[in-house]
Amino acid sequence: MDLQVLKTLEHKRRVKIGFMWAFLCAILWGLWYIPGTAVWVLNPFDAMYGEIAATNGDGVSLIVTAVLITAFNALTVILALIVWNGVLGKFGEMKRTIKEFHPCSKWFFLAAVFGGPMAILGSFMAMGFVGGAFAAVAALMYPVVGSILASKWYGEKITKRAYTGIAFIIAGGFTIFGGGVLTELGSGNISWMGYLGGLMAAAGWGIEGAIAGKGLDISEPDVSLTIRFIAENIIWWIIIIPLLAIFGFPMFKYALLAFEPLTLLTLIFAGITFGFCYVAWYKSFPLIGVGRGQGIGNLYGLFAVIFIFLFFGDVPSWTILVGGALCLAGSSIMFLEDTGELESLRGD
Amino acid sequence: MANLRPIKFRILELCNEDGGKWNYEIVTQIQKEYDQKGNFQRDSINFDIIELASNGLLKDIEVKVDEKGIYKKGFLLHKYSITPVGQARAVNACLLNI
Repeated sequence: MDLQVLKTLEHKRRVKIGFMWAFLCAILWGLWYIPGTAVWVLNPFDAMYGEIAATNGDGVSLIVTAVLITAFNALTVILALIVWNGVLGKFGEMKRTIKEFHPCSKWFFLAAVFGGPMAILGSFMAMGFVGGAFAAVAALMYPVVGSILASKWYGEKITKRAYTGIAFIIAGGFTIFGGGVLTELGSGNISWMGYLGGLMAAAGWGIEGAIAGKGLDISEPDVSLTIRFIAENIIWWIIIIPLLAIFGFPMFKYALLAFEPLTLLTLIFAGITFGFCYVAWYKSFPLIGVGRGQGIGNLYGLFAVIFIFLFFGDVPSWTILVGGALCLAGSSIMFLEDTGELESLRGD
Repeated sequence: MANLRPIKFRILELCNEDGGKWNYEIVTQIQKEYDQKGNFQRDSINFDIIELASNGLLKDIEVKVDEKGIYKKGFLLHKYSITPVGQARAVNACLLNI
């Protein structure tokens, strides 16, 4: 066979692997909204919410409870990732990468700041204030932030076709997002904190993706992801939770009460789906680029709506269905791109 | 070996040598230096090279079909050299001998 033909075939195979990782990420990410939504009604979080709400009001209570849930999410994710790295035999590489603070781990710590206290906390806020389906679709806009930052900052190429796909996805996001707001406007009761959470998720994940792309180019994805979650655990368990405890919130009391079978099971389900969705997400970036990785990963919005319907029986409104279809169209546009354009992901 | 740096750093160093390096040469050398045995580790190192190339830090300068099965029979063997972007990133990561 002609060498050039073999070369093109090999390149196509790589791009396909990248898209497959991104697709797997979308399924797992969509699944995550099931335990993410369910955990709010489980003890100790339900009781914690009630106790803080009685003294500090509903708004403060929801945010503080969201902090504890997010911290537990980070904890179960890191457990899943440590097992994963152990199986792959990557602890040695992890030690080597952590030591490289200036070129690598600095970026992962920064990514954790935007990914954890901004994006994941924002998502839990959106799930608690508005609902799982809303939280999922509100974050759909993150590829816009991610792609623009990656192209301005380190010159990642975004083709016209990728832009078209992203535009479709955003239109889908707006339809779903707007549908929810309009319904709530009609009832005169808008959960602004939930919508703020949705925006935090979109901006936070977009920034995280672009920052992570910077450190990822010279490190292992499995390893860098674990370092990013070690950083997030430090942020929650060593900084924010003790700080909230000092301010008088019963953080440790309820943290210790979380060891109930059903709560633990839900948290572990959250940890596994979220941990591996991140593994897949990070693996797709070096192969297809931050913008496209995020674009395909965005199908999670659609999956989340489907899973939430299947598990909780929440019938999606027509705006969610139309929006979901637009997201699917956008991701297909990106997926079917002529990969010849992707020979190198960055300009020289 | 003491003072090993992350594998991708070492790959960049190897590809900075005159005339570049073939992927099977890089993989063999890294496996030896980092004491990584087995086919899974071998493919994992090769995937690191692919990622570096996708990111534009390496480029392949020569390709041939692996007819003898040096790496994987019937597949392509690639010779890589570092790109200006890769060199700038390596300097930024304090790879002193680049």
